[in-house]
Amino acid sequence: MIELSHVSKRFGEETAVDDISLRVPKGKFCALVGTSGCGKSTTLRMINRLIEHSEGDIILDGQAIEVYDPVKLRRRIGYVIQHTGLFPHWNVARNIGLVPRLLKWSAADVQGRVEELMDLLGLPVGEFAHKYPHQLSGGQAQRVGVARALAADPDILLMDEPFGALDPITREKLQDELAKLQARLHKTVVFVTHDMDEALKLADHLVVMREGRIVQQGSPLALLQQPADSFVESLLGGLERGLKQAALTRVKDHMTSMGPTLPAQSRIPADFSLRQALSMMLRDHSDRLTVVDQHDVPIGELSLRRIIKEAQLDKGSARE
Amino acid sequence: MSNSLSVAQPRKRAPLWLWPLVWGALLLLSVVAMSAAEPLFRWIEPDARQVIYDRADFYVLLGRHLLVVGIAALVTVVVGVSAGIAVTRERGSDFLPLVGQLASLGQTFPPVAVLALAVPVLGFGTLPIIVALMLYGMLPIVRNTLAGLQAVDIDIKTAAHAMGMTPTQTLRYVELPLAAPVILAGIRTSVTINIATAALGATVGASNLGDPIISGIVNGNMAYVVQGALTIALLALTVDSLFELLQRQLRSRLSAP
Repeated sequence: MIELSHVSKRFGEETAVDDISLRVPKGKFCALVGTSGCGKSTTLRMINRLIEHSEGDIILDGQAIEVYDPVKLRRRIGYVIQHTGLFPHWNVARNIGLVPRLLKWSAADVQGRVEELMDLLGLPVGEFAHKYPHQLSGGQAQRVGVARALAADPDILLMDEPFGALDPITREKLQDELAKLQARLHKTVVFVTHDMDEALKLADHLVVMREGRIVQQGSPLALLQQPADSFVESLLGGLERGLKQAALTRVKDHMTSMGPTLPAQSRIPADFSLRQALSMMLRDHSDRLTVVDQHDVPIGELSLRRIIKEAQLDKGSARE
Repeated sequence: MSNSLSVAQPRKRAPLWLWPLVWGALLLLSVVAMSAAEPLFRWIEPDARQVIYDRADFYVLLGRHLLVVGIAALVTVVVGVSAGIAVTRERGSDFLPLVGQLASLGQTFPPVAVLALAVPVLGFGTLPIIVALMLYGMLPIVRNTLAGLQAVDIDIKTAAHAMGMTPTQTLRYVELPLAAPVILAGIRTSVTINIATAALGATVGASNLGDPIISGIVNGNMAYVVQGALTIALLALTVDSLFELLQRQLRSRLSAP
């Protein structure tokens, strides 16, 4: 667990981070979102003591971070940065094995772990182990970056705009993979990004920062339903907010059991998002869809009327 | 192989060891068999009594020359690289401009002037020339060490730091290997320049390959001058081509793009 309470960071006269408090429970994914210069990266770097905080307490697993030796602390926290920071004179396997070697694992253990991670991140060992960073595409290099961060199996993973420099298609693919990885590994993740869609997609807990302060924090749905001010609202995409919220909602949460009417023409799997369902309705000029399970067996029905009715109810309950 | 570009054959080149071998062989030939070229030197100086420098064997002069350059290079590398490392650390960063200026000053000061100033203090012999060479050769090494270390990508250094490498580990496993090609280039420049400059030592009694040149100038015997200059040039070419070999090897080992 990571806990920041009333943390500030001053560089001379300038206050980069101003009295922020936030809590990331073990196994949760927290995204820090904001425009550049809002203090989100500084906040991240204070957690592994790349930057020492000026005021307040940062607690890791029940202990103030000042208690830990900074070098040992960093070896148990994974860290991923935008331009990967891979060592250009080391091949992929050696880059990934860095932290285990610093921790003096045996050569056999390091090799085993490196191969395990390359498997996990979809980098065939035979093809990639001996390649050098300059021979990799942006997406491959960042996979290596993530593998390196995970090498010593840290509980905590800090990611500083890891996908910021990738093309949209690769970025989306890596986001999906990270989500899958997180569902398996349950790391405590703090993820910095300026891309709200990325944050909405990945985070359990969303923290919006501006000028060194936290403007609002909460679950992605809570923020979408009730942005604190116009800044958060604009970050959340203004008019697009409705669709973003729909993207976070599963079809199965809104379906009803099969009605007495004829089944609708179009079918949608239950674990698709409401956004995909709405898109399908628009495409097929239909206000009803048949919901199917993974074996394509109909299990329910989704109707536009009901979606809108429930949204009204949600809004009502959120206001209370 | 998915990428056909990566299997393209590199242009055919002469083998790496060819030039060191050629220049080294010519150098060896010149120091052991200078007298065989007597007719040639006779043609340069038809009237001289003696056309082959014989006050000392050429291989002895070569040995002394190498010793002087070697000692100066060793000290310069140790001092220059250490200074470059020290001022690029957080603690030493205040001295960065000072060290840069001192090194430049060393090279703007003519070696002849250094010799003139050093002799009264250190006496005649080998010591003044070593001091002069050290001052003269310091700049390329310091400058390249600074350039090489400062060129290491900040992201790479941040990553090293964040992964839990100590500053010493970062320096040894990341910064120095990445800066090595640039530092080596500085050492190459320094040593090659000093091979020629060391000849000045002959004027203050440090016997080396400068002897035939000085003696030739004093006695008006151009054949001597040519013999000294030729041997020094061959030595410089040999050493320079060895550095070239070393640099290529280093580059391929670091596999920089």
